[in-house]
Amino acid sequence: MKPAAGLMEHPFGADYARRTPAPADAMLAAFRDQARSVFEPQGLPGPKNEAWRFTPLRALAKVPFIPAAAADDVDVTAVPAPVAVLPGAARLVLVNGVYRADLSDKIEGVEISTASDRSLLGHIATMASVPMAALNASFMGAVLSLKVTKAATTPVHLISVAAAGSQPVAFHPRLLINIAPGAALTLVETHCGLPGQATLANPVTEIRLGEGAQLKRYVQVAEQSDSFHLAATGIALAKDSRFEGFHTGLGGALVRQEIAAVMHGTGAHLELHGAYALDGHSHHDFTTSIDHHVPGCSSNQVFKGVVGGESRGVYQGRIHVARDAQKTDARQLHKALFLERGPQIDCKPELEIYADDVQCAHGAATGEIDADHLFFLAARGIDPATARMLLVEAFLADATERISEETVRAAFTRDIQGWLSRRSLKAAA
Amino acid sequence: MALLEIKNLHVSVGDREILKGITLTLNGGEVHAIMGPNGTGKSTLSNVIAGREGYTVTQGEVLLDGKDVFAMAADERARAGIFLAFQYPVEIPGVSTSSFLKTAINAKRRAEGHKEIDAMEFLKLVKAKTKELGMADDMIKRPLNVGFSGGEKKRAEVLQMTLLEPRVAILDETDSGLDIDALKVVSDGVNALRSKDRAFLVITHYQRLLDYIVPDHVHVLVNGRIAVSGGKELALELEAEGYAKYQGAAA
Repeated sequence: MKPAAGLMEHPFGADYARRTPAPADAMLAAFRDQARSVFEPQGLPGPKNEAWRFTPLRALAKVPFIPAAAADDVDVTAVPAPVAVLPGAARLVLVNGVYRADLSDKIEGVEISTASDRSLLGHIATMASVPMAALNASFMGAVLSLKVTKAATTPVHLISVAAAGSQPVAFHPRLLINIAPGAALTLVETHCGLPGQATLANPVTEIRLGEGAQLKRYVQVAEQSDSFHLAATGIALAKDSRFEGFHTGLGGALVRQEIAAVMHGTGAHLELHGAYALDGHSHHDFTTSIDHHVPGCSSNQVFKGVVGGESRGVYQGRIHVARDAQKTDARQLHKALFLERGPQIDCKPELEIYADDVQCAHGAATGEIDADHLFFLAARGIDPATARMLLVEAFLADATERISEETVRAAFTRDIQGWLSRRSLKAAA
Repeated sequence: MALLEIKNLHVSVGDREILKGITLTLNGGEVHAIMGPNGTGKSTLSNVIAGREGYTVTQGEVLLDGKDVFAMAADERARAGIFLAFQYPVEIPGVSTSSFLKTAINAKRRAEGHKEIDAMEFLKLVKAKTKELGMADDMIKRPLNVGFSGGEKKRAEVLQMTLLEPRVAILDETDSGLDIDALKVVSDGVNALRSKDRAFLVITHYQRLLDYIVPDHVHVLVNGRIAVSGGKELALELEAEGYAKYQGAAA
């Protein structure tokens, strides 16, 4: 199919649709058809789309992806070895977005279903403003619904493995998370892949937090260096609910993690933090949008990144405070550290405040490792590689320290340390 | 052999010559004080020996145990036994004092071919030394120098000196920002380290510090040169009469 005039050519056309397996029922078929009517005319977002200006999809659009479900030569028999074992957590394994009972643990306290939760699907992640939600909905494959009705004591570790056969594959899973009033869940997600042909993970997550509910969601994106990850998350927070999110970016050719939260009830609180460490030509984009729709809610964001090689880091943070949302407390901070000349950072804070009795703060800074710090450590006999590692770790710790679950904080910190030690070995070679 | 020999040292920053031929020999067990008015090159001398970037050595040499100091990077100099106690110790958020101390101790141990310090031994050692220096127990859990008072920062410097056991310790205006009680504690810490295998270069603007750390030799640095050298009584004379007559002579 030729794209409409001015649109970039991409692999997600009629042929891709034909090879995508039929939906499970008529409702899902209607949902997908409606999504395609949104996606087709707009296509993939190009450089003229303000929200995608810093994250070009030209390279992605040239990869001849086929739907992962159409690839008959993918063989995954185990979770890749580098994925950390989280003590006390139950594993939930997806391969190319499809739930794999044979690799997963039995999980207690959480209802897991491959049927879609109709009260959530399409209600929280809006296609109109989020092109990746439209792409996902157009070709939506596996749906996984998680429902929690009381405080779940076992954390869930969702491991999503991307694997291609002889051809690059894409998959578009949807995760629906429903936390009932007063219930709580801790969810860790690791998105990784196997070496081989390129993959595109295009997950969309819709989260509803009931009154007084709590969700801790820690997402780790460590895709293969030639692979893509375009994720969108929508979060709806009811009165007095609490969301704590953390997103890391450690690998992948092009990764975008887009998170949009809406405060629907007074007293809701959101913590959303992230850390990234990029090298080579890796490109990571964190785009957040926090909508303070009602009075008396608070949100706090701290994102920190280190960039080397010719990598590129993007942070776009939008905060919207509605006219009625008095007593809002919204904070946002992005800081990046350059390991050398070559990488690029784009940061775009966007504050739209229509209420007058609010506290909003945002900050952004980029810089290099402080020469005075390096000299101080050298004057105590610490070699430059170790000194840089200490300082970079300390820089990122300002974000990772905000992970309230100790085992997760330790695991994420170890992964960052691993990244740093591999990198300094590489620099020395 | 002398511990540290500074021979005809000329140092420039950009086009400007700051040190114009310094010659000084420190033997084991000696404490040398360098005094002088502001902007005369005292800090340049300490920084250039410790290896801070931004200085150009145009002439002369510095030898530690007969080895060329300028052939070594700053961290190698430190492991070889040069210790600079900073006038303004930097605050490093996110790096805990204890992990910093352990990293520094192990860097030295590895360089000397010893095995790394074990966690228990480290804690015991640090606890004993912090107690001697009158430091709070929780200080080593805090990020390095972050939120420390002036006195706490200088005590932390002396703690590092004590743990790293240098051959030559350079104290750059250690007395600045210290009240009299902190000055006593810091001086006691330094005096406890005096030994025949170690030399000190104490850089100060005021005589006060030298009441507590009593020098064997006093040198007056004016306009990049040593204008006069003498014994500890020279410091008292300077306190009474100021630097004016040497500034006149050097001009």
